[in-house]
Amino acid sequence: MNKVGIVGIGTTQFKARWIDKTYYELAYDAAKLALEDAGIGKKDVGGVVYGIYNEFFERQFMPDVYIHNYIGMGGKPSVRVATGGATGGAAVFVAWSWIAAGLYDTVMVLGVEKATDNYNYTVGHPTPETLKAILFSGDMTFENPMGLTAAASYALPLIAHINKYGTPTERQMAMVSVKNHKNAMNNPIAQSPKLLTVDDVLNSKMITYPFKFYDNCLYSEGASAIILASEDKAKALTDNPAWISGVGLSLDKAFAGERDDMTIFTSSQYAGRDAYAMAGIKHPRTELDFAELHDAFTGAEILSYEAFNLCGPGGGGALIEDGVVEMTGDLPVSPSGGLIGCGHAVGATGVMQTGEAALQVQGRADKRQVKNARVGLVQSIGGPATAWTAAMIIERIDTVKAKPAAQKKARRPGTRRT
Amino acid sequence: MIQNKEQWLEEASRKIKVPKELIARAFHEELEGNPAIDAPLEVPDIMDITYKYTYGGISRFFRELRDNQQLYGTKCTTCGTVWLPPRINCNECYAPTTWVKLGDTARIVTYTIVYYATSVFYGKTPYVCAFVKVDGADTLIMQNVFLKDVRQAKVGMKLKIQFKENRNGDMGDFWFVPAQEAL
Ligand SMILES: [Zn+2]
Repeated sequence: MNKVGIVGIGTTQFKARWIDKTYYELAYDAAKLALEDAGIGKKDVGGVVYGIYNEFFERQFMPDVYIHNYIGMGGKPSVRVATGGATGGAAVFVAWSWIAAGLYDTVMVLGVEKATDNYNYTVGHPTPETLKAILFSGDMTFENPMGLTAAASYALPLIAHINKYGTPTERQMAMVSVKNHKNAMNNPIAQSPKLLTVDDVLNSKMITYPFKFYDNCLYSEGASAIILASEDKAKALTDNPAWISGVGLSLDKAFAGERDDMTIFTSSQYAGRDAYAMAGIKHPRTELDFAELHDAFTGAEILSYEAFNLCGPGGGGALIEDGVVEMTGDLPVSPSGGLIGCGHAVGATGVMQTGEAALQVQGRADKRQVKNARVGLVQSIGGPATAWTAAMIIERIDTVKAKPAAQKKARRPGTRRT
Repeated sequence: MIQNKEQWLEEASRKIKVPKELIARAFHEELEGNPAIDAPLEVPDIMDITYKYTYGGISRFFRELRDNQQLYGTKCTTCGTVWLPPRINCNECYAPTTWVKLGDTARIVTYTIVYYATSVFYGKTPYVCAFVKVDGADTLIMQNVFLKDVRQAKVGMKLKIQFKENRNGDMGDFWFVPAQEAL
């Protein structure tokens, strides 16, 4: 397999509504930013992988074909990925495979979402209609009619976990909300930068038990693009590329009632296992310098610590309580603010997170820079009850890593080690 | 500027099936204001498809619900797993299944309480969504549990099935209540 680098990153503002842009105008803005960042033109792009989640959001089936035209890529290879909330991450996975296979030298990943053109006229607000659009993703015969919501889909495994381990507590979940809103204050594209207290979160109104208002991410509109390149191309374009050294993708049983254990994010466990193996990571808790996790809801971030083996089963709550995942801790999680702080422009989210991880290892993350960030994990979750996960290890390989635990073996990205 | 406001509202209302007053409220600025020629212009729309879809091989499940108030699962002819929701084949064995009658009792394996719902469930909150294990089935099915106070929901809570009076042959034909409340 060929090595795959990240050589260009461009993300628009994530915000509640881009009333002055259509989805293809937004996509264009991110594409332009990423091309400029890479120092290349559209003629240099070998193909484009689109991440766009929901037809009812965009008010358009096959929205990718019109974006491809709009950004001047007509005639080039292209495919759209739609894997629910994991759309952005899975789009990165597909683009990675095109370069790893040697098909193209340069591939653009372009994620975009217009989530709030939906509108509920009774309430005078988009959200209930946006939720309705999402719920067409629940099995239409057996699950959609039950009144499930995206939050409920995460709450079901979470309540099972709380029943088994007693954690995470509502206070631990609130601490994740405080952290991610606060991290977002260092991120100029973030939708919800806020200084909150744990009590602010605990006292906010109940949305879906046990998630209160501030435990939820908000719907965002935005676009994010990254340019992936083969090793030769990446080295020619920049002396400071980020490398995708491991990838993993898993789709667990979507009828969650068939699962053996409801308390584990199994898809994250499998995607993480594969990404770690490819990147040669044996002890993620010490080898990772940071992570950008899919905190669609606070409890999901905590269960993700466990799924990615950053702690044992039931130990996730302690990681936030002990400050490990804070910017001041030794494994900061979601320096960007994550979905809760930065926003969740679904198809764009996983692309944005991958770009954020690349900025971290390149030392370009400005105020949200994690010191000596060399290896980071990206997680993108989607589907009913977290059925999908795409995971990526993003790292910088110019020098020997600073952490002794990681020095046991020299690693080359793109080399599977078993 | 919209030339004939009343006619525009009537056409919009017919198109998106929303009362005129609500459309007028949402488009107040466009109707009554004086937006610049290049200000973002929003328009009302709806995406609407009608169906006559088939339940295929599990049609009997819904007929048993509708006509006989009876919950059925399916049993794999090879591994014996009893599936609910039912399926006519097993995804482990790739073997066919046969229909089996299930009990009318169940318990909550996990649940959540929805306080903020989609447009479809507007006005019906709060309600409980749960994965329940029906006696006789090996897998869990998602269903609503109706409680006098939603906060009584608990993992392990014993339930009894209840059927709707006028059944349509869909998942809304039944739900669960706490076992001690059902008589
Ligand atoms: Zn079987």
